[in-house]
Amino acid sequence: MIFSIFEHILTHISFSIVSIVITIHLMSLLVDRIVELYDSSDKGIITTFFCITGFLISRWISSGHFPLSDLYESLMFLSWSFSIIHIVSKIWNHKNHLSVITAPSAIFTQGFATSGLLTELQQSAILVPALKSQWLMMHVSMMVLSYAALLCGSLLSLALLVITFRKNIEIFGKINHLLIGSSSFGFGEQCMNERNNVLRNTFFLSFRNFHRYQLIHQLDYWSYRVISLGFIFLTIGILSGAVWANEAWGAYWNWDPKETWAFITWTIFAIYLHTRTKKNLQGANSAIVASLGFLIIWICYFGVNLLGIGLHSYGSFTLTSN
Amino acid sequence: MESLSFNSTQIPKQVIPQVFTINSHLLQSNFKCCRFSFNTHLHTLCSSRNLSLRIGCELKISSDGKNKPIPKKIILSDGAPSLSEDVSGNEKIPAKSRKSGMMRPFGSVPRKLLGVLSNLPLAIGEMFVIAALMALGTFIDQGEAPDFYFQKYPEDNPVFGFFTWRWVLSLGFDHMFSSPVFLGMLVLLAASLMACTYTTQIPLVKVARRWSFLHSAEAILKQEFADTLPRASVHDLGIILMGAGYEVFLKGPSLYAFKGLAGRFAPIGVHLAMLLIMVGGTLSAAGSFKGSVTVPQGLNFILGDVMNPTGFLSTPTQTFNTEVHVNRFYMDYYESGEVSQFYTDLSLFDIDGKEVLRKTISVNDPLRYGGITMYQTDWGFSALQILKDGEGPFNLAVAPLKLNGDKKLYGTFLPVGGADSPNVQGISMLARDLQSIVLYDQEGKFVGVRRPGSKLPIDINGIQIEIVDAIGSSGLFLKTDPGVPIVYGGFGTLMLTTCISFLSHSQIWALQDGTTVVIGGKTNRAKVEFPEEMNRFLDMIPEIVESSLPKQSEIINH
Repeated sequence: MIFSIFEHILTHISFSIVSIVITIHLMSLLVDRIVELYDSSDKGIITTFFCITGFLISRWISSGHFPLSDLYESLMFLSWSFSIIHIVSKIWNHKNHLSVITAPSAIFTQGFATSGLLTELQQSAILVPALKSQWLMMHVSMMVLSYAALLCGSLLSLALLVITFRKNIEIFGKINHLLIGSSSFGFGEQCMNERNNVLRNTFFLSFRNFHRYQLIHQLDYWSYRVISLGFIFLTIGILSGAVWANEAWGAYWNWDPKETWAFITWTIFAIYLHTRTKKNLQGANSAIVASLGFLIIWICYFGVNLLGIGLHSYGSFTLTSN
Repeated sequence: MESLSFNSTQIPKQVIPQVFTINSHLLQSNFKCCRFSFNTHLHTLCSSRNLSLRIGCELKISSDGKNKPIPKKIILSDGAPSLSEDVSGNEKIPAKSRKSGMMRPFGSVPRKLLGVLSNLPLAIGEMFVIAALMALGTFIDQGEAPDFYFQKYPEDNPVFGFFTWRWVLSLGFDHMFSSPVFLGMLVLLAASLMACTYTTQIPLVKVARRWSFLHSAEAILKQEFADTLPRASVHDLGIILMGAGYEVFLKGPSLYAFKGLAGRFAPIGVHLAMLLIMVGGTLSAAGSFKGSVTVPQGLNFILGDVMNPTGFLSTPTQTFNTEVHVNRFYMDYYESGEVSQFYTDLSLFDIDGKEVLRKTISVNDPLRYGGITMYQTDWGFSALQILKDGEGPFNLAVAPLKLNGDKKLYGTFLPVGGADSPNVQGISMLARDLQSIVLYDQEGKFVGVRRPGSKLPIDINGIQIEIVDAIGSSGLFLKTDPGVPIVYGGFGTLMLTTCISFLSHSQIWALQDGTTVVIGGKTNRAKVEFPEEMNRFLDMIPEIVESSLPKQSEIINH
């Protein structure tokens, strides 16, 4: 009983913190950037990470099995993975803005999980015999981590497509504020402060195109790196699932809908990685493939579960309308 | 393997006798067998082969722009690489000498085919088609009777306006994953994989492993990242790079360093691993034995009787004569009554009747013997043993009752009174699992629940029933699969090489120009982190201050 109270408290805390972080981002987008608040948004994501970690650990203790056995738990794990990706990308490169993507994703998945749609799944349930295996930890956690990374990368590509194909954006003036005032995207710090005052008015037009070009370039690069990382996790997840299936059901590949869709996801992102080897296909073309991948991940994760058939029926749910 | 050295400016025919005397007579005899891939002396064919290779190689090679001709000497070596000097500043060797190290002598048709197959857009198209077919395979219900498709995709009301059952059945979409269309696409993809590995990636490995110094400052400054550092020494740079994990080579005033070369090899490993998995999968599909059996507790079966071959490569072995005896089948339950795990205690006896193995299996814990694996997949209720009015025990056969969903329900019936009358009445017993039996009387009213072995009789309309035992049956799935070790090897390789291919291959050249150091570098994957890393290194290089005192090193930290 105490564990469930603990879990409730932790989910509420993390939910609120992520909302605050998103609010900070929105504010800095629409108003001028405030440096101190921005750093605290970083700390906010770290706090969220610890909250969700605490949630998962308490659920592990209270139910006795690794907290990844049904859809609710996997959604919480997904939002946890988003916060991890955010922290990792900050370690990689202190200046990127991946949090714009990860924070809303974390909050949406968490919100959906805790919403009224899935109340019957929120109590920790017992594991059926087929799930009692050490492989559960490796296979499902790798898959959910990979979903998180691939979703981030696909969202970055979608952002790239939006920016490439929209000519006049009102908000672009505001984004320029953001970019000029910040030492983001790997520009040298010394340039920025001068630009802030002198260049803003005079060179605004060409500057805007230059920044747009740089932004597209950066989005392209980050989407590539994040998707490569997600692809590695996806490969390991699919293969460990196959080995587990061989141990449990006797065949390493059953053309189960979930397995097939995971393989389709893998194929689409392999196509994405291959389109990047040719210089003339980079940019918009590979971004289109990655955006297709975004849809396919959702079909793989949710769509197949809605059908509720096949060997992977543990994650199935029906949307109950109250 | 590749300890070949030749001078490309000379006519190869003169070189051959020095290096490979063996092969010279092969040339004249029009080389029928081509075991050695060192047949570099195919300049007669080289010119026409040039074309096909360039189609495939174009993507990888031309990152520096144009293919400027001809370095003076190219040495390909295994182990400790030796140096080569490139006067023109271009470390790319021309197409013909590159590929002639690897190609066997093909006829012209296979060469063109190879060129076509290793085309990247074709491979991308194949992957798209395979993905689309798989998606279609999940939407169309697989393995149903033709009647199902007649109803679901009728001709008078086609889905999307054109999709009728004729499409489904003639193209084999009802068994999509073993249909000729799908398998044909997979074979095509495998062929493309092999062609691409052969023509594009293996030469790329050679180019990447061979490295050269750049001797002019302009060449260095043309790199993606380039900088000049006054009052520095190239030796300090070398030490810093070595500390950062680079392999550094210094020759006089010039320096070459690289890191992450494995990241260039790994994609080859990925392709090879995929081919290995495909081969293993084919072997599994064509050469295994499978079968399932439901065995009540206490009975035996012979392995060979229950398994069926799956393809033309399946060959039975001696272990198929083993007899399996189910000693006991039992289940564990949670406190809530749900099934926690089911267990079967098995004994294996060989053809002489000697027990060779005894093991209790459960789900996720199979039994392996002689290449055959037995999995616990299911369970059933075989019989209920009861005492009626103290007589017995009688074994009542239990039948499964149909329910929606996964839950099972079994029932049996004990007739009371005349068993020949048309409306036989009796006691009904229902059970969801082996732990409790629910009893109903002749009118169908609920009477009570009893556990087997509890020795508590129940009185139903004057008849005393005591449940002695619930005998379950174990659902086993047996399989022997020769392709599994190959597939597992492919899996492991794929996981490893995918991880390694995340690494970025970075190369740095430097030249000591007087007191200035000119540095240039490039990397293939980490294009944003590389300049920052380089800047960090450059900041760490001590500045040489001109003074009569011994050299002061001021390490500039940031």
